[in-house]
Parts: sequence; structure tokens; C-alpha cells
Amino acid sequence: MMELVGSIMVLLGAVFHFSAGLGMLRMPDAYTRMQAGTKASTLGNTLILLGLAIYHPGWGLKLLIIIFFVLMTNPISSHALARAAHGIRIPMAGQTGIDALRDARRKPGDSS
Amino acid sequence: MIHRLLVAVVVASFGLVFASLVVGYTEQSSLRPLAESYVRLVPHELGAPNVITGILLTYRGFDTLGEVAVLFMVAASVGLVLGTRRARRSASAKDRPDETRSSSEVVRTAAEILVPLICIFAAYIIMNGHLSAGGGFQGGAVIASGVLLMLLAFPQYQPNLDFLSITESVAGAIFVLAGIAGLIMAGGFLDNRILPLGQFGAFFSAGAIPLLSVCLGIKVGCELSVILERFRPQKL
Repeated sequence: MMELVGSIMVLLGAVFHFSAGLGMLRMPDAYTRMQAGTKASTLGNTLILLGLAIYHPGWGLKLLIIIFFVLMTNPISSHALARAAHGIRIPMAGQTGIDALRDARRKPGDSS
Repeated sequence: MIHRLLVAVVVASFGLVFASLVVGYTEQSSLRPLAESYVRLVPHELGAPNVITGILLTYRGFDTLGEVAVLFMVAASVGLVLGTRRARRSASAKDRPDETRSSSEVVRTAAEILVPLICIFAAYIIMNGHLSAGGGFQGGAVIASGVLLMLLAFPQYQPNLDFLSITESVAGAIFVLAGIAGLIMAGGFLDNRILPLGQFGAFFSAGAIPLLSVCLGIKVGCELSVILERFRPQKL
């Protein structure tokens, strides 16, 4: 039973990884590609490692530490990359309407 | 069109080459004589459960010393090449306005949490080199990744290069001295039996292998950190 649950979770994680890959191919610009890759692969990694922890309860603690590490690093590195991309003005896709970072950077009282 | 055809031909020929590798592959069920003698000798003679580290730090310790020397030469030549560029740049950088963006708060906070974790993990890898997967080179590379994170998250962070070079020299000297001690007190250069072998599989066991691992880890970490620091774009 535990093995079945673990296997299903690993499979679910693989599905999320597949959606991450699909997003990298299908999304229109750098930022949306980045968020597709980050969110889906973080969840996919977490699910796969949790599934493994259920499958092999003996590895549980080490896998939890790895999950913590992935949760800490993956979103933050993408955050840094996206900010850097925004900083060197990589263009957004045409339909993007809101740029909160630019609005936040703009100094108060500066109307340009 | 011709270009695509060419690419397809290249890919197909690569596929053929690798297919021949895969088709002819049969898994070896028994060890080769050399591997078998190593597998038999290392736990018995050196007291190290991890055969690879046992081989790398004793039987082939001289080879490992050569690898470290190569890394040292890389660090020295990087310093030689990039050091002159830095001096020129810092002179012109003074009248240039500071264009670099500071890293965001998220990155800084994460670095503060992650750098200690990375250092602990590096120490774990180095100190468990004789018991499980790991060793000096890997742990040193992990230390350098922590330093790289510091350099990225805090652009004004300045590692103390003098301290790094002194630490690295001391670690290297201890490594060579341990090797010479093996020559005098045990069977040969870098023989690990200068210290008691201890209980098989314990944390302090396998003679001098943990000591050599630590020296290697410190040395490699310092060298890679110096290389990373040299490659950093300067803003003064």
C-alpha cells in the first residue's frame, strides 16, 4: 500500500515536470517560461522526493532535508534570474500589461 | 535545406556510433583482477569502507597530490592573468558611476540561511569521505559554491585573499608532511597507517585518511574560492 502511494506520488511529480518542460517550450517570453519552469519543477521535485520518502521510509529525514533545500533554492534562484532579466530590460510578451517591479522602482512623484 | 540534411546525417551517424556501444554491451558480473584485489585490500589494509577514497588517498595519493598541484597552478595563472586586468580597471572605475544593482532582500536573506547549511554539508562530505560517498575534492567544491553564493548575494563582500592563500598553503604542507611521515613511519609515501586504523566503519578510523581528506577539502575550497573571486567583475 505504501509502495503504491509512493509510486503514484512519483508519477504525479513526473507529470508536473512534464508540464514544466511543456511550459518552457510553449510560453511566449523569458519571464513566463521562467515561472513555468520554476513552479512546476519545484512542485514536481517535492512530490517525487515525498513519494520516495513514502516508498523508503528509512530515507525520510535525508529526503526532507533535500526538499527543504529545493524549496529554498529553486524559487530564489529564479527570482534572482527574473530580476536580472528585468534589470537588463529583456522585453516582455506583447500581451503583458502590468509591470509591478518597474512601478515599484519608479520614484514617488516621478510622473514619467 | 542542405543544412538540415547535414544535421540529420550527423545525428544519425552519432546514433549509429552510440548504438554500437549499447548493442555490444554486456554487464560484467565479476570484478576484474585489479579491481578485486583493491576491493579485498582496501578494507583489510587501510580500514576504509569507501574503497574509492581509500585508493585515491593512499595507493594513488601521489596522483591526487598532482591533481591538487594542477588546481593550484590554475589558481595561480588565473590570478596572474586577471590580476593585471583588475589593476587597470580599478583605476578607471573610480570616475564611473556605480551601475550595478544591489541584490534583492529575498536573495540576501536566502543567502544568510543557505551559506551555513552549505558549509555544514561540505564538512559532512569531507569528513565522511572514508565512510561513504564524498571526499576532499567534492567537499571543497561545495565550499566554493557557498563562497560563490556569498559573492553573488553580497556584491560588496570581500573574501580575505591573504587568509585564503595562507590556509591553502598550510593545508597543502600538512598533506605533504603526512605523506613524508608515511614514508618514515609506515610503508611508503602517503601511507595512511601513521595513525591507528581504529574500528572499521567508525567516524575516526582508517588512519590518516580523514586528515588527508580535510587537508584536501580545505585546499581545494580555498583554491576554487580564490579563482571565483578573481573572476568577479570589479566595482571599486
